[in-house]
Amino acid sequence: MKEYKKPLPKPTPWSKPFWDGCKRHELFIQKCKDCKNPIFYPKLFCPHCLSPNLEWVKAGGRGKVYSYTVVHSYAPTEFSEDIPYIVAVIELQEGVRLMSNIVGCLPETVKCDMEVEVIFDDVTKEITLPKFKPVLSKD
Amino acid sequence: MSLFKGKVAIVGIGEVPSGKFPDRPCLQNALEACREAILDSGIKKEEIDTIIPTGTFFDRRYNTDMVFSKLVEELGLLRKVKNNFQVFAGGSSSSVMLKTACGLITAGLAKIVLCVQSDKVGSSPTQQMIDLFATFGIPEEWETPFGFFMAGSGSLFATRYMYETGTTPEQLASVVVSNRKWAALNPNAMLRRELTVDEVLNAKMVATPFTTREGNVLADGGAAFIVTSAERAKDLPNPPIYPLGFGSRVCHYAISQNMDLTRLGFYEASQEAYEMAGVGPKDVDIAELYDGYPIFPLITLEGLGICKRGEAGAFVYEGNTWPGGKMPMTTNGGMLGQGHTAAGGGVAILVEAIRQLMGKAGTRQVKGAKIAVESSMGGTFMDSHIVILGRELP
Repeated sequence: MKEYKKPLPKPTPWSKPFWDGCKRHELFIQKCKDCKNPIFYPKLFCPHCLSPNLEWVKAGGRGKVYSYTVVHSYAPTEFSEDIPYIVAVIELQEGVRLMSNIVGCLPETVKCDMEVEVIFDDVTKEITLPKFKPVLSKD
Repeated sequence: MSLFKGKVAIVGIGEVPSGKFPDRPCLQNALEACREAILDSGIKKEEIDTIIPTGTFFDRRYNTDMVFSKLVEELGLLRKVKNNFQVFAGGSSSSVMLKTACGLITAGLAKIVLCVQSDKVGSSPTQQMIDLFATFGIPEEWETPFGFFMAGSGSLFATRYMYETGTTPEQLASVVVSNRKWAALNPNAMLRRELTVDEVLNAKMVATPFTTREGNVLADGGAAFIVTSAERAKDLPNPPIYPLGFGSRVCHYAISQNMDLTRLGFYEASQEAYEMAGVGPKDVDIAELYDGYPIFPLITLEGLGICKRGEAGAFVYEGNTWPGGKMPMTTNGGMLGQGHTAAGGGVAILVEAIRQLMGKAGTRQVKGAKIAVESSMGGTFMDSHIVILGRELP
């Protein structure tokens, strides 16, 4: 397997369950047990009510593209081999947003509010990145 | 009721030309800007009791020199200056430095404040600066692994804005056309050649929808301004320029956490600043708006109520913000014209607002300008700041 040279996330004690979930190909977000708000990215305590009583809940993995850009040049060196690639902000059905890549489609077919679903990219033994692909419409 | 209004005035400005000057040490940028501001203000330098340098990116050691009072020594103010400390918020340092100075003066904790910015990001080793800026404000755990970087940041705002408002690539490109027209009139600007919409759009694509000509170019530079009490300003040579209102919101650290990339915090910030100043959109003579990428002046024009939602693109495209237009905008050329001097991009825009109100803007002077708005943003456009300045008290 080719060595993965791109920057990798360095999990914190409170984000580790998220990355462990990705490794099992499951997408998790946090939920505050007190104010019931969904939370992403992972926090040490609830940013809404400051409660430390957070739980991990499995997300459905579906969402919509809030915004995106297709990178054509001046990318960070490690990503130049991927050009053109798509960076997007995804809004999950649970209401939280995250940044990721959209893969498995031509850049020009990506649109705002397009429906996407998570796929998991096992980039190293330790790290799996959640990425998104278009949901194919069933006519 | 704001305590500073009518009590505080800006009385002097200084600036060195922006550009790539490998042989001009950064300290020279700071010192020449300070000297010019002091001479311009007509104060005796010994009256300065507070120096606020903003942060510098190109070199950590230079930055700590600024923090550790190097300028106090260079300006011959040892044992005269009481405070030297840094105020730094990236691109919005302009607004927050002025706000800090206003607070200190109003509270009686300072009499004359010298605010100064200097950087050398234009002529430092290119790859080093690209790598530095690539990481700025980009969360290492949540965005960097997906190949996101500073130069792509404006694009995410623009894509959603175009989708929601129907604004076209041509209209976005026209912001560059407008800023370059002003830069052509500014001897301190780096990019003084005018461009057409086609030239902007036909340049190399960086991250859709923006091309290289829709991204700012790193530059060396330095600028300074002096703030004192309205009382002290009375017998100084320049017309005192009064800070009238401030408004601001911090809307994200990670771009993914900004719930409205098409408005940011400019609606709330503008309302707050107008109310404090006692003026409204119709009173604004000049809009000195932070650019970075063409999307931000459009969002800011709408937040300010100068344009209706979704109409700013057409407004700029039709030439209303050009020299001679009804709403002169970013009259130094902004970072898309004067150059991006790190935190200085915003400071240069604030200094230009002051210069215009003082009536010292040369061939690009907007005649009779009495009220100017300055906007600024830092990091990956994390915050939205509005400052209203006046040549008279309303």
